[in-house]
Amino acid sequence: MAISFRALPLSLAVLLVSPTTLAGENLFGHVKGAETLPKGSGELYQKLTQRSDKGRGHYTAYDAVTEFEYGITNSLSSTAGIKMQSIDTNGLLIEGYLPEEIDTGLELSGLEASLKYNFLSPAKDDIGLSGLIGFDYTWKDKHSGQDKQTASVETALLLQKFMLEGQLTWVGNLGMEATYAKRDEIDGLPEDFEWPTDPEMEIELIFGTGLNYRFAPKWSLSMEVLYETEFETEVGQERWSVFAGPSLHYGSQTWWATLTWLPQLEGGGEQYEDQSDTDLHLIEKTETEVRLKIGFNF
Amino acid sequence: MSENNLYPIWLLPFAVTALSAYAVDYLSTAEAQHIIFPQQQAIFIEAPAKLTKQQRKQIKSLSGVRQRKDVQPAWRVEDQHGFLGWFIIDDVVGKHEFITYAVGISPQGEVLGVEIMAYRETHGGEVRNADWREHFQGKTLDDPFKLDKDVPNISGATLSSRNILDGVKRLLVLHKTVLQMR
Repeated sequence: MAISFRALPLSLAVLLVSPTTLAGENLFGHVKGAETLPKGSGELYQKLTQRSDKGRGHYTAYDAVTEFEYGITNSLSSTAGIKMQSIDTNGLLIEGYLPEEIDTGLELSGLEASLKYNFLSPAKDDIGLSGLIGFDYTWKDKHSGQDKQTASVETALLLQKFMLEGQLTWVGNLGMEATYAKRDEIDGLPEDFEWPTDPEMEIELIFGTGLNYRFAPKWSLSMEVLYETEFETEVGQERWSVFAGPSLHYGSQTWWATLTWLPQLEGGGEQYEDQSDTDLHLIEKTETEVRLKIGFNF
Repeated sequence: MSENNLYPIWLLPFAVTALSAYAVDYLSTAEAQHIIFPQQQAIFIEAPAKLTKQQRKQIKSLSGVRQRKDVQPAWRVEDQHGFLGWFIIDDVVGKHEFITYAVGISPQGEVLGVEIMAYRETHGGEVRNADWREHFQGKTLDDPFKLDKDVPNISGATLSSRNILDGVKRLLVLHKTVLQMR
């Protein structure tokens, strides 16, 4: 089910200039704030993430997620989304992770849903606190583009603090994601190439923090840091990585956009054979992520 | 697939910001003045409060929020019977932009009225409702100025509600420490 990316700029442009579109605010690329939507209001998100460069050969992946969030009550909001991805890689094969050179084009890859409950309001209480539970089902491997079924449950605590009357915003995230995964067989792989198809369980811990400063009406700059580590059935701690970088955010009454550049600063755990930069984790992660998020309020 | 095709996407939203840039001003200064001070013969004498660094620090200390402006736009209001009070225009931080509002303060330091002059946020247009703004009527520095106690919160605009509430308290402090001393 490949779809050309060429139509995407036009589609986005149509959405952006449409008089029916409205807007909210999402200040960071990855870390999340504690605020929920007011009852009865909705928000449509389009997120596009480019993950590129594994240190050898060519690797570029795009993740496109379209989400709709709805305020069930003033404290509880729900989100449902459709995930798409494209993987373009050559000149690099990794045992157990990248079995083939591939250029998938954009294809549907999964579904997601989540609930977010606000316990403390960042604007009313000393600090804002929300709890998040998310469910995710995918049928395409995020790394290789191969067929792979995964079912994940994510829980997270989201903290948020307004300072300088809201001109400065701090957020902190503590999250855990448990994933069941099973790869499909691939025909034609060399017999000695490792591509396990037994089910596996993974637990990922995610710690993130970010600071946003509004330097002009509608415009703000952020810096965020993301630490992720994953534990797997057989190998224990499989990987860890630290990504950090800036975001530029524009938020108006009718829509908002956030552009984030997030290079990997440090990483460890499993490495592929003859990996040149051994200070990074480049099997499941890449050297750089760039994310564009656009939101429209209803 | 070549990623070159995707490069324009990253900057597309920022390139079209100009298309959506607009402002909504609900009341002019003169309109807000005559709503808060409806007396037929009221005259408004421009008398901005020029604040020293020390005064700004004192206002922050007593109100709990920053006094951002060095010069606070203010008008002394009089009619044929005498001094009616002060009319002050102020800005507070909203979610995206500044919220511009006006406050009338009696010579005794009571809020006579609050009018929202410009509000450009996604949610919380209710701050313009008379029912919500009436909660400010008669407030003095003896009141606690707590959201959901003095003035109800507006869902989806909690930051805006809190900042307007804090802003009115700050203007009462400015009135007490600067304007009443004149």
